[in-house]
Amino acid sequence: MANAYLAEIKAEIFKLARMPEFAIPTLILPVMFFTLFGVIIPGSRDNAPYLLSTFGVFAVMGPALFGFGAGVAQERERGWLTLKRAVPAPAAALLVAKTTATIVIASVSLAAIYAVAAFAAGVELPALVWLGLLLVHVISAIPFVLLGLALGFVFGANAAVAVANIAYLGMAVLGGLWMPISVFPKIMGQIAQFLPSYHLAEIALGVSGAAGEKAVLGHIVATLVITAIAAGLALLAWARQR
Amino acid sequence: MTASPDFAPPILKADALTRRFGRKTALDGINLTVSDTGVLALLGPNGAGKTTFVQTALGLVRPSHGELRVLGAKPGQQSVKTRIGVMMQDTDLAHTLTGRELLELFASYYPDPADLEALIDRCALGDFIKRRYGQLSGGQKRRIQFALALVGQPDLLFLDEPTTGLDTEARRALWAIVRDVAANGTLVVLTTHYLEEADALADRVIVLKDGQVIADDTADGLRTRMGGAVIDCVTGLTDDALRSIEGLISLNRSGRKVRLQVSEAVPALKSLFELDPDLSDLGVAQPTLEDAFGALTRPSESQGA
Repeated sequence: MANAYLAEIKAEIFKLARMPEFAIPTLILPVMFFTLFGVIIPGSRDNAPYLLSTFGVFAVMGPALFGFGAGVAQERERGWLTLKRAVPAPAAALLVAKTTATIVIASVSLAAIYAVAAFAAGVELPALVWLGLLLVHVISAIPFVLLGLALGFVFGANAAVAVANIAYLGMAVLGGLWMPISVFPKIMGQIAQFLPSYHLAEIALGVSGAAGEKAVLGHIVATLVITAIAAGLALLAWARQR
Repeated sequence: MTASPDFAPPILKADALTRRFGRKTALDGINLTVSDTGVLALLGPNGAGKTTFVQTALGLVRPSHGELRVLGAKPGQQSVKTRIGVMMQDTDLAHTLTGRELLELFASYYPDPADLEALIDRCALGDFIKRRYGQLSGGQKRRIQFALALVGQPDLLFLDEPTTGLDTEARRALWAIVRDVAANGTLVVLTTHYLEEADALADRVIVLKDGQVIADDTADGLRTRMGGAVIDCVTGLTDDALRSIEGLISLNRSGRKVRLQVSEAVPALKSLFELDPDLSDLGVAQPTLEDAFGALTRPSESQGA
Protein backbone atom coordinates (compact mmCIF):
# COMPACT_ATOMS: atom_id res chain seq x y z
CA MET A 1 0.00 0.00 0.00
CA ALA A 2 3.03 2.27 0.35
CA ASN A 3 3.10 1.77 -3.37
CA ALA A 4 -0.36 3.35 -3.60
CA TYR A 5 0.85 6.48 -1.82
CA LEU A 6 3.79 6.87 -4.18
CA ALA A 7 1.63 6.30 -7.25
CA GLU A 8 -0.92 8.78 -5.95
CA ILE A 9 1.75 11.42 -5.28
CA LYS A 10 3.21 10.95 -8.76
CA ALA A 11 -0.23 11.26 -10.34
CA GLU A 12 -1.03 14.43 -8.38
CA ILE A 13 2.25 16.09 -9.34
CA PHE A 14 1.68 15.28 -13.02
CA LYS A 15 -1.86 16.57 -12.79
CA LEU A 16 -0.78 19.90 -11.29
CA ALA A 17 2.20 20.38 -13.57
CA ARG A 18 0.12 19.65 -16.67
CA MET A 19 -2.52 22.25 -15.95
CA PRO A 20 -0.94 25.32 -17.58
CA GLU A 21 -3.91 27.52 -16.71
CA PHE A 22 -3.11 26.78 -13.09
CA ALA A 23 0.64 26.21 -13.14
CA ILE A 24 1.74 29.33 -15.00
CA PRO A 25 0.02 31.98 -12.87
CA THR A 26 0.75 30.29 -9.55
CA LEU A 27 4.38 29.61 -10.42
CA ILE A 28 5.23 32.78 -12.30
CA LEU A 29 3.24 35.45 -10.44
CA PRO A 30 5.03 35.28 -7.07
CA VAL A 31 8.54 35.41 -8.48
CA MET A 32 7.52 38.08 -11.01
CA PHE A 33 6.05 40.36 -8.35
CA PHE A 34 8.95 39.69 -6.06
CA THR A 35 11.42 40.68 -8.78
CA LEU A 36 9.40 43.82 -9.51
CA PHE A 37 8.96 44.97 -5.91
CA GLY A 38 12.29 43.70 -4.60
CA VAL A 39 14.76 44.24 -7.44
CA ILE A 40 13.57 46.34 -10.36
CA ILE A 41 11.88 49.33 -8.73
CA PRO A 42 14.67 51.74 -7.76
CA GLY A 43 15.57 51.60 -4.10
CA SER A 44 13.46 48.48 -3.63
CA ARG A 45 16.41 46.27 -2.71
CA ASP A 46 16.12 47.49 0.85
CA ASN A 47 12.73 45.81 0.95
CA ALA A 48 14.00 42.54 -0.48
CA PRO A 49 14.56 40.71 2.85
CA TYR A 50 11.09 41.73 4.00
CA LEU A 51 9.46 40.68 0.72
CA LEU A 52 11.41 37.42 0.64
CA SER A 53 9.75 36.48 3.93
CA THR A 54 6.22 37.41 2.87
CA PHE A 55 6.33 36.33 -0.79
CA GLY A 56 7.36 32.85 0.31
CA VAL A 57 3.95 32.57 1.97
CA PHE A 58 2.33 33.98 -1.19
CA ALA A 59 4.11 31.39 -3.33
CA VAL A 60 2.73 28.51 -1.26
CA MET A 61 -0.79 29.90 -1.05
CA GLY A 62 -1.40 29.72 -4.83
CA PRO A 63 -0.88 25.99 -5.41
CA ALA A 64 -2.76 25.19 -2.18
CA LEU A 65 -5.85 27.21 -3.06
CA PHE A 66 -5.92 26.53 -6.82
CA GLY A 67 -4.46 23.07 -7.16
CA PHE A 68 -6.17 21.78 -4.08
CA GLY A 69 -9.34 23.83 -3.82
CA ALA A 70 -10.30 24.26 -7.43
CA GLY A 71 -8.89 20.81 -8.24
CA VAL A 72 -11.02 19.04 -5.64
CA ALA A 73 -14.14 20.88 -6.79
CA GLN A 74 -13.53 19.82 -10.37
CA GLU A 75 -12.78 16.20 -9.51
CA ARG A 76 -15.82 16.02 -7.30
CA GLU A 77 -18.04 17.32 -10.08
CA ARG A 78 -16.58 14.88 -12.59
CA GLY A 79 -17.31 11.82 -10.43
CA TRP A 80 -13.61 11.06 -9.99
CA LEU A 81 -13.85 11.30 -6.20
CA THR A 82 -16.85 8.98 -6.18
CA LEU A 83 -14.89 6.44 -8.19
CA LYS A 84 -11.98 6.82 -5.76
CA ARG A 85 -14.30 5.92 -2.89
CA ALA A 86 -15.48 2.79 -4.72
CA VAL A 87 -11.99 1.44 -5.36
CA PRO A 88 -9.55 0.40 -2.62
CA ALA A 89 -7.47 3.58 -2.76
CA PRO A 90 -6.29 4.22 0.82
CA ALA A 91 -8.53 6.95 2.22
CA ALA A 92 -5.65 9.15 3.35
CA ALA A 93 -3.62 8.70 0.16
CA LEU A 94 -5.46 11.38 -1.76
CA LEU A 95 -4.98 13.93 1.01
CA VAL A 96 -1.33 13.07 1.55
CA ALA A 97 -0.66 13.04 -2.19
CA LYS A 98 -2.38 16.34 -2.89
CA THR A 99 -0.58 18.01 0.00
CA THR A 100 2.76 16.62 -1.14
CA ALA A 101 2.13 17.69 -4.74
CA THR A 102 1.17 21.16 -3.53
CA ILE A 103 4.42 21.43 -1.58
CA VAL A 104 6.49 20.13 -4.51
CA ILE A 105 4.98 22.67 -6.91
CA ALA A 106 5.24 25.43 -4.30
CA SER A 107 8.91 24.52 -3.81
CA VAL A 108 9.62 25.31 -7.46
CA SER A 109 8.08 28.71 -6.94
CA LEU A 110 9.98 29.15 -3.65
CA ALA A 111 13.28 28.14 -5.25
CA ALA A 112 12.81 30.82 -7.93
CA ILE A 113 12.11 33.49 -5.30
CA TYR A 114 15.06 32.40 -3.14
CA ALA A 115 17.35 32.49 -6.18
CA VAL A 116 16.24 35.98 -7.19
CA ALA A 117 16.62 37.13 -3.57
CA ALA A 118 20.13 35.71 -3.18
CA PHE A 119 21.57 36.50 -6.59
CA ALA A 120 19.69 39.54 -7.88
CA ALA A 121 18.48 41.34 -4.77
CA GLY A 122 21.63 40.65 -2.79
CA VAL A 123 19.86 39.28 0.29
CA GLU A 124 22.43 37.77 2.61
CA LEU A 125 21.28 35.53 5.45
CA PRO A 126 23.01 32.85 7.55
CA ALA A 127 22.38 29.33 6.23
CA LEU A 128 20.36 28.48 9.32
CA VAL A 129 18.02 31.40 8.69
CA TRP A 130 17.49 30.29 5.08
CA LEU A 131 16.59 26.85 6.40
CA GLY A 132 14.26 28.31 9.00
CA LEU A 133 12.52 30.39 6.33
CA LEU A 134 12.13 27.35 4.09
CA LEU A 135 10.59 25.42 6.96
CA VAL A 136 8.09 28.18 7.75
CA HIS A 137 7.16 28.57 4.08
CA VAL A 138 6.66 24.84 3.51
CA ILE A 139 4.60 24.43 6.67
CA SER A 140 2.47 27.37 5.49
CA ALA A 141 0.99 24.93 2.98
CA ILE A 142 -0.97 23.10 5.70
CA PRO A 143 -3.57 25.72 6.68
CA PHE A 144 -4.00 26.80 3.05
CA VAL A 145 -4.42 23.21 1.88
CA LEU A 146 -7.13 22.68 4.48
CA LEU A 147 -8.89 25.89 3.45
CA GLY A 148 -8.58 24.78 -0.18
CA LEU A 149 -10.08 21.42 0.70
CA ALA A 150 -13.08 23.02 2.43
CA LEU A 151 -13.53 25.34 -0.53
CA GLY A 152 -13.36 22.40 -2.97
CA PHE A 153 -16.07 20.51 -1.12
CA VAL A 154 -18.40 23.48 -0.69
CA PHE A 155 -18.27 25.10 -4.14
CA GLY A 156 -18.80 23.77 -7.64
CA ALA A 157 -15.92 23.73 -10.10
CA ASN A 158 -16.51 27.17 -11.61
CA ALA A 159 -17.43 28.91 -8.38
CA ALA A 160 -14.40 27.35 -6.67
CA VAL A 161 -12.00 29.02 -9.11
CA ALA A 162 -13.65 32.39 -8.53
CA VAL A 163 -13.65 31.97 -4.75
CA ALA A 164 -10.03 30.76 -4.80
CA ASN A 165 -9.06 33.87 -6.77
CA ILE A 166 -10.71 36.18 -4.28
CA ALA A 167 -9.22 34.31 -1.33
CA TYR A 168 -5.79 34.27 -2.98
CA LEU A 169 -5.61 38.00 -3.70
CA GLY A 170 -7.55 38.97 -0.58
CA MET A 171 -5.33 37.04 1.79
CA ALA A 172 -2.23 38.31 -0.04
CA VAL A 173 -3.10 42.00 0.20
CA LEU A 174 -4.92 42.01 3.54
CA GLY A 175 -2.37 39.66 5.07
CA GLY A 176 0.40 42.14 4.31
CA LEU A 177 2.22 39.88 1.86
CA TRP A 178 2.69 42.56 -0.80
CA MET A 179 3.23 45.50 1.51
CA PRO A 180 3.21 45.84 5.29
CA ILE A 181 -0.30 46.22 6.70
CA SER A 182 0.95 49.24 8.66
CA VAL A 183 0.51 51.24 5.43
CA PHE A 184 -3.21 50.40 5.39
CA PRO A 185 -6.02 51.96 7.48
CA LYS A 186 -6.37 50.47 10.94
CA ILE A 187 -9.52 48.50 10.14
CA MET A 188 -7.60 46.43 7.60
CA GLY A 189 -5.03 45.59 10.18
CA GLN A 190 -7.83 44.20 12.32
CA ILE A 191 -9.07 42.01 9.46
CA ALA A 192 -5.53 40.68 9.08
CA GLN A 193 -5.74 39.16 12.57
CA PHE A 194 -8.14 36.55 11.15
CA LEU A 195 -6.00 35.62 8.14
CA PRO A 196 -3.47 32.78 8.21
CA SER A 197 -1.46 34.66 5.59
CA TYR A 198 -0.81 37.51 8.03
CA HIS A 199 0.29 35.33 10.93
CA LEU A 200 2.48 33.10 8.73
CA ALA A 201 4.12 36.16 7.18
CA GLU A 202 4.82 37.53 10.68
CA ILE A 203 6.40 34.22 11.70
CA ALA A 204 8.54 34.27 8.54
CA LEU A 205 9.57 37.86 9.31
CA GLY A 206 10.44 36.82 12.84
CA VAL A 207 12.71 34.11 11.45
CA SER A 208 14.40 36.30 8.82
CA GLY A 209 14.68 39.31 11.13
CA ALA A 210 13.77 41.52 8.19
CA ALA A 211 11.42 43.65 10.27
CA GLY A 212 13.52 43.75 13.40
CA GLU A 213 12.89 41.68 16.52
CA LYS A 214 9.42 40.16 16.53
CA ALA A 215 7.60 38.09 19.11
CA VAL A 216 6.30 35.17 17.08
CA LEU A 217 4.65 33.06 19.78
CA GLY A 218 1.30 34.82 19.48
CA HIS A 219 1.36 34.34 15.73
CA ILE A 220 2.17 30.66 16.10
CA VAL A 221 -0.79 30.19 18.43
CA ALA A 222 -3.05 32.15 16.05
CA THR A 223 -1.86 30.02 13.13
CA LEU A 224 -2.57 26.82 15.05
CA VAL A 225 -6.07 28.02 15.94
CA ILE A 226 -6.82 29.02 12.35
CA THR A 227 -5.43 25.69 11.11
CA ALA A 228 -7.65 23.79 13.53
CA ILE A 229 -10.68 25.76 12.34
CA ALA A 230 -9.74 25.11 8.70
CA ALA A 231 -9.38 21.39 9.47
CA GLY A 232 -12.79 21.40 11.13
CA LEU A 233 -14.33 23.15 8.13
CA ALA A 234 -12.70 20.71 5.72
CA LEU A 235 -13.93 17.71 7.75
CA LEU A 236 -17.41 19.14 7.98
CA ALA A 237 -17.54 19.85 4.24
CA TRP A 238 -16.20 16.37 3.52
CA ALA A 239 -18.73 14.69 5.81
CA ARG A 240 -21.62 16.68 4.34
CA GLN A 241 -20.47 15.50 0.94
CA ARG A 242 -20.94 11.85 1.85
CA MET B 1 -23.30 -20.14 -14.32
CA THR B 2 -20.72 -21.82 -12.19
CA ALA B 3 -21.61 -22.76 -8.65
CA SER B 4 -19.26 -21.55 -5.97
CA PRO B 5 -18.08 -24.02 -3.31
CA ASP B 6 -20.63 -24.80 -0.59
CA PHE B 7 -18.71 -23.11 2.18
CA ALA B 8 -18.40 -19.78 0.40
CA PRO B 9 -20.93 -17.07 1.27
CA PRO B 10 -23.13 -15.79 -1.56
CA ILE B 11 -21.42 -13.20 -3.75
CA LEU B 12 -24.39 -10.89 -3.34
CA LYS B 13 -27.14 -11.21 -0.80
CA ALA B 14 -29.87 -8.63 -0.32
CA ASP B 15 -32.35 -8.87 2.54
CA ALA B 16 -35.29 -6.50 2.32
CA LEU B 17 -32.86 -3.95 0.93
CA THR B 18 -34.52 -0.55 0.92
CA ARG B 19 -33.17 2.87 0.08
CA ARG B 20 -35.13 6.09 0.16
CA PHE B 21 -34.02 9.48 -1.09
CA GLY B 22 -36.38 11.95 0.51
CA ARG B 23 -39.84 10.81 -0.48
CA LYS B 24 -38.64 8.74 -3.39
CA THR B 25 -38.05 5.03 -2.83
CA ALA B 26 -35.19 3.92 -5.06
CA LEU B 27 -34.96 0.36 -3.70
CA ASP B 28 -38.05 -1.16 -2.20
CA GLY B 29 -37.41 -4.31 -0.17
CA ILE B 30 -35.17 -6.24 -2.52
CA ASN B 31 -34.44 -9.86 -1.69
CA LEU B 32 -31.81 -11.48 -3.79
CA THR B 33 -29.13 -14.13 -3.55
CA VAL B 34 -26.42 -14.57 -6.13
CA SER B 35 -24.02 -17.43 -5.49
CA ASP B 36 -22.85 -18.24 -8.99
CA THR B 37 -20.31 -16.49 -11.15
CA GLY B 38 -21.20 -15.56 -14.71
CA VAL B 39 -22.98 -12.51 -16.07
CA LEU B 40 -25.92 -11.08 -14.18
CA ALA B 41 -27.84 -8.43 -16.10
CA LEU B 42 -29.73 -5.83 -14.14
CA LEU B 43 -32.44 -4.37 -16.32
CA GLY B 44 -35.16 -1.86 -15.76
CA PRO B 45 -36.56 1.40 -17.03
CA ASN B 46 -34.86 4.64 -15.98
CA GLY B 47 -35.33 5.24 -12.27
CA ALA B 48 -35.94 1.56 -11.55
CA GLY B 49 -33.15 1.47 -8.98
CA LYS B 50 -30.33 -0.20 -10.95
CA THR B 51 -27.69 2.41 -10.25
CA THR B 52 -28.74 2.77 -6.61
CA PHE B 53 -28.35 -0.99 -6.22
CA VAL B 54 -24.84 -0.86 -7.70
CA GLN B 55 -23.90 2.12 -5.54
CA THR B 56 -25.12 0.31 -2.44
CA ALA B 57 -23.01 -2.70 -3.35
CA LEU B 58 -20.00 -0.41 -3.75
CA GLY B 59 -20.57 1.11 -0.32
CA LEU B 60 -21.30 4.57 -1.76
CA VAL B 61 -24.92 4.54 -0.62
CA ARG B 62 -26.12 3.17 2.69
CA PRO B 63 -29.37 1.21 2.91
CA SER B 64 -32.28 2.91 4.67
CA HIS B 65 -33.50 -0.50 5.82
CA GLY B 66 -32.48 -4.07 5.27
CA GLU B 67 -29.06 -5.26 4.30
CA LEU B 68 -26.81 -6.01 1.39
CA ARG B 69 -23.84 -8.33 1.85
CA VAL B 70 -21.14 -8.34 -0.78
CA LEU B 71 -18.69 -11.26 -0.86
CA GLY B 72 -19.96 -12.11 2.60
CA ALA B 73 -19.15 -8.72 4.12
CA LYS B 74 -20.47 -5.24 4.51
CA PRO B 75 -20.01 -3.16 1.35
CA GLY B 76 -17.35 -0.47 1.36
CA GLN B 77 -14.81 -2.32 3.51
CA GLN B 78 -11.28 -2.28 2.19
CA SER B 79 -11.14 -6.10 2.09
CA VAL B 80 -14.25 -6.12 -0.10
CA LYS B 81 -13.13 -3.26 -2.31
CA THR B 82 -9.87 -4.99 -3.24
CA ARG B 83 -11.93 -7.83 -4.79
CA ILE B 84 -14.25 -5.56 -6.78
CA GLY B 85 -13.82 -3.84 -10.11
CA VAL B 86 -16.11 -1.06 -11.20
CA MET B 87 -16.96 0.95 -14.28
CA MET B 88 -19.42 3.66 -13.36
CA GLN B 89 -21.68 5.86 -15.40
CA ASP B 90 -20.90 9.56 -15.76
CA THR B 91 -17.35 9.35 -14.48
CA ASP B 92 -14.69 11.54 -15.97
CA LEU B 93 -11.10 10.67 -15.12
CA ALA B 94 -8.18 13.06 -14.76
CA HIS B 95 -7.82 14.70 -18.17
CA THR B 96 -4.13 15.41 -17.79
CA LEU B 97 -3.04 11.82 -17.10
CA THR B 98 -2.41 9.30 -19.86
CA GLY B 99 -4.21 5.97 -20.04
CA ARG B 100 -1.09 4.18 -18.91
CA GLU B 101 -0.61 6.51 -15.93
CA LEU B 102 -4.22 5.91 -14.90
CA LEU B 103 -3.73 2.15 -15.16
CA GLU B 104 -0.53 2.33 -13.10
CA LEU B 105 -2.28 4.43 -10.44
CA PHE B 106 -5.21 2.06 -10.13
CA ALA B 107 -2.97 -1.01 -10.23
CA SER B 108 -1.23 0.34 -7.11
CA TYR B 109 -4.48 0.03 -5.12
CA TYR B 110 -4.79 -3.75 -5.49
CA PRO B 111 -2.85 -6.55 -3.83
CA ASP B 112 -2.67 -8.64 -7.00
CA PRO B 113 -3.01 -6.39 -10.05
CA ALA B 114 -3.17 -7.64 -13.62
CA ASP B 115 -0.10 -7.52 -15.82
CA LEU B 116 -0.50 -4.09 -17.44
CA GLU B 117 0.96 -4.98 -20.84
CA ALA B 118 -1.31 -8.00 -21.09
CA LEU B 119 -4.31 -5.92 -20.02
CA ILE B 120 -3.52 -3.20 -22.58
CA ASP B 121 -3.32 -5.89 -25.26
CA ARG B 122 -6.45 -7.61 -24.13
CA CYS B 123 -8.49 -4.39 -24.19
CA ALA B 124 -6.78 -3.23 -27.41
CA LEU B 125 -5.70 0.10 -25.91
CA GLY B 126 -2.29 0.12 -27.59
CA ASP B 127 -3.10 2.86 -30.10
CA PHE B 128 -3.99 5.49 -27.55
CA ILE B 129 -2.61 4.36 -24.19
CA LYS B 130 0.12 7.05 -24.28
CA ARG B 131 -2.26 9.89 -24.96
CA ARG B 132 -3.81 12.05 -22.28
CA TYR B 133 -7.25 10.98 -21.24
CA GLY B 134 -8.73 14.40 -22.02
CA GLN B 135 -7.73 14.06 -25.67
CA LEU B 136 -9.46 10.72 -26.23
CA SER B 137 -12.78 10.13 -27.95
CA GLY B 138 -15.80 9.10 -25.91
CA GLY B 139 -15.42 5.47 -26.95
CA GLN B 140 -11.70 5.40 -26.12
CA LYS B 141 -12.43 6.89 -22.69
CA ARG B 142 -14.97 4.14 -21.99
CA ARG B 143 -12.41 1.53 -22.97
CA ILE B 144 -9.84 2.99 -20.56
CA GLN B 145 -12.50 2.94 -17.82
CA PHE B 146 -13.24 -0.68 -18.65
CA ALA B 147 -9.57 -1.60 -18.36
CA LEU B 148 -9.40 0.21 -14.99
CA ALA B 149 -12.29 -1.96 -13.79
CA LEU B 150 -10.29 -5.07 -14.67
CA VAL B 151 -6.90 -3.98 -13.33
CA GLY B 152 -7.44 -5.49 -9.87
CA GLN B 153 -8.39 -8.92 -11.29
CA PRO B 154 -11.75 -8.69 -9.51
CA ASP B 155 -13.95 -11.52 -8.27
CA LEU B 156 -16.91 -9.21 -8.70
CA LEU B 157 -17.14 -6.73 -11.55
CA PHE B 158 -19.77 -3.99 -11.80
CA LEU B 159 -20.35 -2.54 -15.24
CA ASP B 160 -22.89 0.28 -15.25
CA GLU B 161 -23.92 0.91 -18.86
CA PRO B 162 -20.48 -0.09 -20.13
CA THR B 163 -21.03 0.21 -23.87
CA THR B 164 -22.70 3.61 -24.06
CA GLY B 165 -20.81 5.56 -26.70
CA LEU B 166 -19.01 2.55 -28.19
CA ASP B 167 -19.28 1.62 -31.86
CA THR B 168 -20.46 -1.85 -32.81
CA GLU B 169 -16.99 -3.27 -33.19
CA ALA B 170 -15.75 -1.97 -29.83
CA ARG B 171 -18.96 -3.14 -28.18
CA ARG B 172 -18.50 -6.68 -29.47
CA ALA B 173 -14.86 -6.68 -28.42
CA LEU B 174 -15.91 -5.64 -24.92
CA TRP B 175 -18.55 -8.36 -24.84
CA ALA B 176 -15.93 -10.97 -25.70
CA ILE B 177 -13.79 -9.85 -22.77
CA VAL B 178 -16.79 -9.83 -20.42
CA ARG B 179 -17.64 -13.39 -21.45
CA ASP B 180 -14.05 -14.42 -20.89
CA VAL B 181 -13.85 -12.77 -17.47
CA ALA B 182 -17.17 -14.31 -16.42
CA ALA B 183 -16.05 -17.75 -17.60
CA ASN B 184 -12.98 -17.48 -15.41
CA GLY B 185 -14.72 -17.24 -12.07
CA THR B 186 -15.88 -13.63 -11.83
CA LEU B 187 -19.42 -12.47 -11.26
CA VAL B 188 -20.12 -9.65 -13.68
CA VAL B 189 -23.05 -7.43 -12.73
CA LEU B 190 -24.12 -5.58 -15.84
CA THR B 191 -26.64 -2.80 -16.02
CA THR B 192 -27.58 -1.83 -19.52
CA HIS B 193 -30.44 -0.52 -21.49
CA TYR B 194 -29.29 -2.30 -24.62
CA LEU B 195 -31.37 -5.44 -24.26
CA GLU B 196 -29.42 -6.98 -27.07
CA GLU B 197 -26.41 -6.72 -24.77
CA ALA B 198 -28.15 -8.51 -21.92
CA ASP B 199 -29.38 -11.13 -24.37
CA ALA B 200 -25.88 -11.69 -25.73
CA LEU B 201 -24.14 -11.88 -22.35
CA ALA B 202 -26.39 -12.62 -19.43
CA ASP B 203 -26.70 -15.96 -17.68
CA ARG B 204 -29.28 -14.46 -15.39
CA VAL B 205 -31.51 -11.45 -15.86
CA ILE B 206 -33.05 -9.48 -13.05
CA VAL B 207 -35.66 -6.93 -14.00
CA LEU B 208 -36.20 -4.05 -11.60
CA LYS B 209 -39.15 -1.74 -11.65
CA ASP B 210 -39.91 0.96 -9.10
CA GLY B 211 -37.20 -0.45 -6.86
CA GLN B 212 -38.58 -3.99 -6.82
CA VAL B 213 -37.51 -7.22 -8.50
CA ILE B 214 -40.28 -8.07 -10.96
CA ALA B 215 -38.48 -10.87 -12.77
CA ASP B 216 -35.47 -13.05 -12.06
CA ASP B 217 -34.72 -15.62 -14.72
CA THR B 218 -32.47 -16.52 -17.63
CA ALA B 219 -32.88 -14.53 -20.84
CA ASP B 220 -34.36 -17.64 -22.46
CA GLY B 221 -36.56 -18.18 -19.44
CA LEU B 222 -37.95 -14.68 -19.72
CA ARG B 223 -38.73 -15.19 -23.37
CA THR B 224 -40.28 -18.59 -22.82
CA ARG B 225 -42.25 -17.42 -19.85
CA MET B 226 -43.74 -14.76 -22.00
CA GLY B 227 -44.31 -17.31 -24.72
CA GLY B 228 -46.15 -16.61 -27.89
CA ALA B 229 -45.02 -14.74 -30.91
CA VAL B 230 -44.54 -11.30 -32.37
CA ILE B 231 -46.51 -10.52 -35.53
CA ASP B 232 -45.57 -7.61 -37.77
CA CYS B 233 -47.83 -6.53 -40.59
CA VAL B 234 -49.27 -3.61 -42.52
CA THR B 235 -53.04 -3.36 -42.13
CA GLY B 236 -55.91 -0.91 -42.40
CA LEU B 237 -57.48 -2.22 -39.20
CA THR B 238 -58.11 0.14 -36.30
CA ASP B 239 -56.70 -0.48 -32.82
CA ASP B 240 -60.19 -1.39 -31.62
CA ALA B 241 -60.51 -4.03 -34.30
CA LEU B 242 -57.07 -5.41 -33.51
CA ARG B 243 -57.89 -5.69 -29.82
CA SER B 244 -60.37 -8.44 -30.64
CA ILE B 245 -57.60 -10.70 -31.88
CA GLU B 246 -57.25 -13.88 -29.91
CA GLY B 247 -54.53 -13.93 -27.28
CA LEU B 248 -53.35 -10.38 -27.86
CA ILE B 249 -50.80 -9.28 -25.28
CA SER B 250 -49.75 -5.93 -26.64
CA LEU B 251 -50.11 -3.72 -29.62
CA ASN B 252 -47.74 -1.16 -31.09
CA ARG B 253 -48.46 0.91 -34.12
CA SER B 254 -46.54 3.23 -36.35
CA GLY B 255 -48.90 4.46 -39.06
CA ARG B 256 -50.29 1.39 -40.84
CA LYS B 257 -47.47 -0.80 -39.58
CA VAL B 258 -48.42 -2.71 -36.46
CA ARG B 259 -46.59 -5.05 -34.14
CA LEU B 260 -48.69 -7.49 -32.14
CA GLN B 261 -47.50 -9.60 -29.28
CA VAL B 262 -49.71 -12.64 -28.95
CA SER B 263 -49.78 -15.66 -26.69
CA GLU B 264 -50.02 -18.09 -29.60
CA ALA B 265 -49.25 -17.49 -33.26
CA VAL B 266 -51.70 -19.69 -35.16
CA PRO B 267 -55.07 -18.66 -33.69
CA ALA B 268 -54.01 -15.02 -33.70
CA LEU B 269 -53.04 -15.20 -37.37
CA LYS B 270 -56.36 -16.86 -38.21
CA SER B 271 -58.39 -14.11 -36.60
CA LEU B 272 -56.14 -11.49 -38.12
CA PHE B 273 -56.78 -12.80 -41.66
CA GLU B 274 -60.50 -12.99 -40.99
CA LEU B 275 -60.53 -9.35 -39.98
CA ASP B 276 -58.30 -8.13 -42.80
CA PRO B 277 -57.78 -10.43 -45.78
CA ASP B 278 -55.73 -7.71 -47.49
CA LEU B 279 -52.99 -7.31 -44.89
CA SER B 280 -49.45 -7.29 -46.23
CA ASP B 281 -45.79 -7.45 -45.23
CA LEU B 282 -46.48 -10.17 -42.72
CA GLY B 283 -43.72 -11.36 -40.43
CA VAL B 284 -43.91 -13.74 -37.49
CA ALA B 285 -41.07 -14.06 -35.01
CA GLN B 286 -40.17 -15.38 -31.59
CA PRO B 287 -40.34 -12.62 -29.01
CA THR B 288 -36.98 -11.06 -28.25
CA LEU B 289 -35.77 -10.14 -24.81
CA GLU B 290 -36.80 -6.62 -25.70
CA ASP B 291 -40.40 -7.76 -26.25
CA ALA B 292 -40.35 -9.64 -22.95
CA PHE B 293 -38.89 -6.64 -21.18
CA GLY B 294 -41.49 -4.36 -22.75
CA ALA B 295 -44.31 -6.64 -21.62
CA LEU B 296 -42.90 -6.78 -18.07
CA THR B 297 -42.29 -3.11 -17.54
CA ARG B 298 -45.22 -1.66 -19.44
CA PRO B 299 -47.29 0.25 -16.91
CA SER B 300 -50.83 -0.62 -17.98
CA GLU B 301 -53.48 -3.14 -19.03
CA SER B 302 -51.47 -5.66 -21.01
CA GLN B 303 -49.09 -6.49 -18.20
CA GLY B 304 -50.72 -9.63 -16.89
CA ALA B 305 -48.99 -11.96 -19.36
